[in-house]
Amino acid sequence: MAGLTRTAGAFAVTPHKISVCILLQLYAPSAQMSLPFPFSSVSQHNRLGLYLLSLTKSCDDIFEPKLEDLINQLREVGEDMDAWLTDHLTNRFSSLTSPDDLLNFFNDMRGILGSLDSVAAQDDQIILDPNSILGMFVRRCILAFNLLSFEGVCHLFTSIEVYCREAHSSSAQYDASNDNLESLIQHDQMDMEKYIMDKATEEIKLQKNASGSIPFHLHTPEALFKVTEGLLVTRKEKSRASTKKIEATPITRASSSTADDNLVDESLFLRTNYQIQGFLMEQADAIETHGSSLSSSSIESFLQKLQNLAPELHRVHFLRYLNKLHSDDYFAALDNLLRYFDYSAGTEGFDLVPPSAGCSMNGRYEIALLCLGMMHFRFGHPNLALEVLTEAVRVSQQVSNDTCLAYTLAAMSNLLSEMGIASTTSVLGSSYSPVTSTASSLSVQQRVYILLKESLRRADSLKLRRLVASNHLAMAKFELMHVQRPLLSFGPKASMRHKTCPVSVCKEIRLGAHLLSDFSAESSTMTIDGTLSSVWLKDLQKPWGQPVLSQESGSRKSSTFFQFCDHLVSIPGSVSQIIGASYLLRATSWELYGSAPMARMNTLVYATLFGDSSSSSDAELAYLKLIQHLALYKGYKDAFAALKIAEEKFLTVSKSKVLLLKLQLLHEHALHRGNLKLAQRMCNELGGLASTTMGVDMEQKVEASLREARTLLAAKQYSQAAKVAHSLFCTCHKFSLQIEKASVLLLLAEIHKKSGNAVLGLPYALASISFCQSFNLDLLKASATLTLAELWLGLGSNHAKRALDLLHGAFPMILGHGGLELRARAYIFEANCYLSNPSFSDSDTVLDSLRQASDELQALEYHELAAEALYLMAMVYDKLGQIEEREEAATMFKKHITALENPQNEEPNMA
Amino acid sequence: MVSKESCRNEIRAAIEQLSERCLHSAAKWAGEQLVGIEQDPSNFTPSNTRFQRGSSSIRRRFSTHESISTPQPSVGFSHAATPLPEEDEVTDCDLYYLAKSYFNCREYRRASHVLRDQMSKKSVFLRCYALYLAGEKRKEEEMIELEGSLGKSDAINRELVSLERELSALKRTGAIDSFGLYLYGVVLKEKGNETLARASLVESVNSYPWNWNAWSELQSLCTSIEILNSLNLSNHWMKEFFLASAYQELRMHTESLAKYEYLQGIFSFSNYIQAQTAKAQYSLREFDQVEIIFEGLLRNDPYRVEDMDLYSNVLYAKEACAALSYLAHKVFLTDKYRPESCCIIGNYYSLKGQHEKAVMYFRRALKLNKKFLSAWTLMGHEYVEMKNTPAAIDAYRRAVDINPCDYRAWYGLGQAYEMSGMPFYALHYFRKSIFFLPNDSRLWIAMAKCYQTEQIYMLEEAIKCYKRAVNCTDTEGIALNQLAKLHQKLGREEEAAVYFEKDLERMDGEGLEGPNMLEALVFLATHFKTHKKFEEAEVYCTRILDYSGPEKEKAKSLLRGIRMEKTGFPSMDMEHFPL
Repeated sequence: MAGLTRTAGAFAVTPHKISVCILLQLYAPSAQMSLPFPFSSVSQHNRLGLYLLSLTKSCDDIFEPKLEDLINQLREVGEDMDAWLTDHLTNRFSSLTSPDDLLNFFNDMRGILGSLDSVAAQDDQIILDPNSILGMFVRRCILAFNLLSFEGVCHLFTSIEVYCREAHSSSAQYDASNDNLESLIQHDQMDMEKYIMDKATEEIKLQKNASGSIPFHLHTPEALFKVTEGLLVTRKEKSRASTKKIEATPITRASSSTADDNLVDESLFLRTNYQIQGFLMEQADAIETHGSSLSSSSIESFLQKLQNLAPELHRVHFLRYLNKLHSDDYFAALDNLLRYFDYSAGTEGFDLVPPSAGCSMNGRYEIALLCLGMMHFRFGHPNLALEVLTEAVRVSQQVSNDTCLAYTLAAMSNLLSEMGIASTTSVLGSSYSPVTSTASSLSVQQRVYILLKESLRRADSLKLRRLVASNHLAMAKFELMHVQRPLLSFGPKASMRHKTCPVSVCKEIRLGAHLLSDFSAESSTMTIDGTLSSVWLKDLQKPWGQPVLSQESGSRKSSTFFQFCDHLVSIPGSVSQIIGASYLLRATSWELYGSAPMARMNTLVYATLFGDSSSSSDAELAYLKLIQHLALYKGYKDAFAALKIAEEKFLTVSKSKVLLLKLQLLHEHALHRGNLKLAQRMCNELGGLASTTMGVDMEQKVEASLREARTLLAAKQYSQAAKVAHSLFCTCHKFSLQIEKASVLLLLAEIHKKSGNAVLGLPYALASISFCQSFNLDLLKASATLTLAELWLGLGSNHAKRALDLLHGAFPMILGHGGLELRARAYIFEANCYLSNPSFSDSDTVLDSLRQASDELQALEYHELAAEALYLMAMVYDKLGQIEEREEAATMFKKHITALENPQNEEPNMA
Repeated sequence: MVSKESCRNEIRAAIEQLSERCLHSAAKWAGEQLVGIEQDPSNFTPSNTRFQRGSSSIRRRFSTHESISTPQPSVGFSHAATPLPEEDEVTDCDLYYLAKSYFNCREYRRASHVLRDQMSKKSVFLRCYALYLAGEKRKEEEMIELEGSLGKSDAINRELVSLERELSALKRTGAIDSFGLYLYGVVLKEKGNETLARASLVESVNSYPWNWNAWSELQSLCTSIEILNSLNLSNHWMKEFFLASAYQELRMHTESLAKYEYLQGIFSFSNYIQAQTAKAQYSLREFDQVEIIFEGLLRNDPYRVEDMDLYSNVLYAKEACAALSYLAHKVFLTDKYRPESCCIIGNYYSLKGQHEKAVMYFRRALKLNKKFLSAWTLMGHEYVEMKNTPAAIDAYRRAVDINPCDYRAWYGLGQAYEMSGMPFYALHYFRKSIFFLPNDSRLWIAMAKCYQTEQIYMLEEAIKCYKRAVNCTDTEGIALNQLAKLHQKLGREEEAAVYFEKDLERMDGEGLEGPNMLEALVFLATHFKTHKKFEEAEVYCTRILDYSGPEKEKAKSLLRGIRMEKTGFPSMDMEHFPL
């Protein structure tokens, strides 16, 4: 079948290649001269040589420059002899008036090649070594031409006509007044081009603004897009200019449509299979990186063209699938995915699976299943996804495709850990796969663990480095979030101690990041070649081509260095993505373990170094982490400002978490300002975001009810709050969400503290502390300790000493890593402790910490606590007899109290 | 009812005008209809009736229809609405004659060149039409020349742009006749501007309804019933032909059949209508009817190749090897390089189990016409037979991409995936095929089987599918049996009994016997016995006694048990109500 065996496309002669050949003829004429005619110096000659070298290297690029572009470049290369060069080029082309001339031309080309035994060559003779890059190029061209049938020659001939006509059309109108005033014409042409360029930049800018002012960092696709855009724009301008001359009306529909028509059949010369695959891969990366901020219709139109040109290139369907996936079009995505696999049988374009013997007969439909499963996962159909992935496991076991099996298992574990499935037993129980059926009696987490281990083992033995790395990261995530305990030995002897192990997390992360030094062993160079050659040409132009390229340099400021490295060692995007993910994971783990600075640092590292190559959802996560950090440590004003930026940037990302964070922040803010109604509303909305299926989106659900309990607590409805917290604890236990348990316990302690039942609160606080201890949640532990101390103090002032000791034990952690609220609470509590002792006299320390607390709380707009701090301050001042300060504190106190009582008066700035 | 005579006159004039403009296929179509009208007895000559000496079946058909259609009042046909257009004067007749001969010799560019300065509407049309055909010819050639490793390059008809410009200018000035409008519609359609194309074609057929080419272009643009209903067509008997064909394409077979029957009142001997009726009947799976029609057609028109692949499909389904080979031989001698002929030969080889050869002929058909839908589907079937799943999937997918409504290809895709052990994946395709043909029990059964596989094992879904299959009058009776068994498996004795009874009823009705029968009887006997309905149980048991084998012994023991229980009633009572 045609769809199964396909050879790489051949080297085809195109008009552009002929122009390069003409220039080569100039560079190395067959006549014996040390320096051919037009060149005035050896360096000039060499420069042309270098330029030609770059041209021949970039000949495998997917886009070929037009004659006009070539002439522009020549102008920069040729300096004072540019006119001569371009004249020669155009004259040579216009001398090709019949197919016979082409035949002669290629016969002449043969002459510039030296004989293979280059002994006979004289010193001062310029001879093209047939084995040099340039020589090879000429030979390939000649060979390709000789292979052409007469029809092929005719087609080449017509395309040359078109190629030249395009270049002429822009200057045609000036030719009318051509009285060998060359300089004038050139001047005019320059003007015209400048005009076109201006227009082009304008359009590009517009485009950027439209797409949310995202700097296009990714190098090559950007360049390519520019090329396409540029093509479009210049063409439109051209036709506009010409119509202007005739009828002086704005561009008519007809002319624009003809321009588009031309574009389809003339500007794209079909290239080899290999190049197109590489190009499509780049496009796929671009789609992933930019998410839906990339205009999907532009890609669509491009793919349409490509499909018209190459109906047997099935990868186009896959690209279309990706595109639809990112623009959240379920039906179209499904359709294209199925179409792609129907046509290609999974054997085209997947470099992750090395083509093994005998696959051509059976196809590789297990990959189709894998992709389909991941698609369902992305669109949020966990049960469907699980069904499909189970089938993928079964099929890949049947055809013993271990690679696919490893990937499928990884995808499955990812699915389970991200979404969670309530009724997994019913789904998995029916399956026949040994991996999943053993797992049917286990909890979701245990299943995730088994799947990950399985996948890791296979990936390791198959040397799939990327998969190994990402599995290690997933493992780290698992270790981070889930409590270790012996998996299958539930005897009386088995230790039932729950704990997390930061060391293993660290180990896994490190193993994951190990990839960087390792990946070079892999030989997936599909994209790299094409990319590099085009970049090569661009870099070469840079020193000369300032006017052409100046617009580009503005748009990318940061990370040019990294990009440079990128091209130099050519790290594939996927590798840098995984490494980036390891940094993000590091940040998350530090967040959990309670080191704010480390978390922030890692996030920043990620955002600066990997922001370009990351997928949009990862980038979003990094931004959100930073915003969260801002909210905790700098107050809401900054956080909301930052959120606004993030919103603009990421709202188009599907399954965006921006909304989630916004609701969280608004809830927090409303709670602090005492606007309980708003808080309740936010809380409800938050709960509404989660899926309604049981067992899915557990983390979100837990978060929502945690917040509900806190809102109730703030509304002083203690019994209800306690009820919610209790049921929440039960849920956490049911789904064995250990880490969440610790915070729920803390909340319960808090509720009892607030309701005045300090004795009841104590056991909860202690339990929370012990949970934190075994899970290494240092910051949470510090905060639990603070609550414990508060409870002690609540038992009576005679316990003040003990409470103070507890507090001082936790102080380093709180002050070093705690957020504004926690710090302020600690300060106020310290002051309270001191004040509870009637004999206490060192009022300076007390005032100091109170002042600190009130400042921080003001940033946080936490009226209740701020009022408390100010009240205490006023009391102390009163005691010290400092009336003025006392009055000041008292008025401040009053302000906060009124603000607290009338929360609606301050207009909610973000809601 | 429009009078046959006026119809005849209209068509005669139309043929003249159509062939004057070199619209040969439209003229051919009109000619077929012309001789399809029953001749007047007045000019009843033996040579005229040659086409009408049909088979007895057609006579029969004809006579029944006449009895239906004659009492009908003339509804829908408003005959006088469209007068025949007058021929405009061709300024230079001689040049036109030359151009026409060039055109007939397929020298299109030459023809258009001859007419370069002619301004009459007729000349303009012929010039543009010739130019269009020249472009099409070049396009086809180019497609073959430019074929690369990645498939065919995007060859386009290079005359389209200039043609569109000229025709739109003509249209704006009003200097365009209905033939020009037809060409304009075609050009617009090629350029992808479907709405404008439709509008232009509608205008064309409203002013000149006898151009079947325009109607069929219009029909290909009606992809949904909504579009079809939104067309503003004036009434004419040609519209009925159009509607019938459009209904057929939209899978509304019964509506289409009704239209054709109506039309047969006038065009009682039209081969075209016969063939179309056969097509519709084929879609309704009335194979016997189709066979009769085609036999008659072949008798009247022995060198016909059009639609004969459909006939071969019927012969294939009936496993009539000899007839199929006869047909294949006949079309082979008539015109071997027609996709239809290749398909027929392919079908023959397929029936003979020589799948490689069959594939070769289907490939040839596709070489002749890359968009020949049924060849793709049939080739897919062959690959399935050859266990080459990827190739089969590829072939089916191509069929689906040519016509997304081809339920056979969707079904084939599902089957192929099911074959390669991916039932869940296959389900999607079965769903697609059912979407396009919800009334076919085979599709529902295939889907149910998919759900029933041990990998998926969603029995509830399977039951739902089988129920649908039963509602669609499942002729093979798989669904009832399966329903009963599934219910039995799920322990729902009552439902199982109901379905077994229904199945039994069906088998009795069709006079079938077999293991299914025995199974049903055994189940029902035991079921009724356990539920203490001894009368029924005894009936079933005695029926089992007609068979030999282990079941007979079982029935005997059952009967014995029944008698025991019947006599020992009081003791049972004692057990149930211990005092």
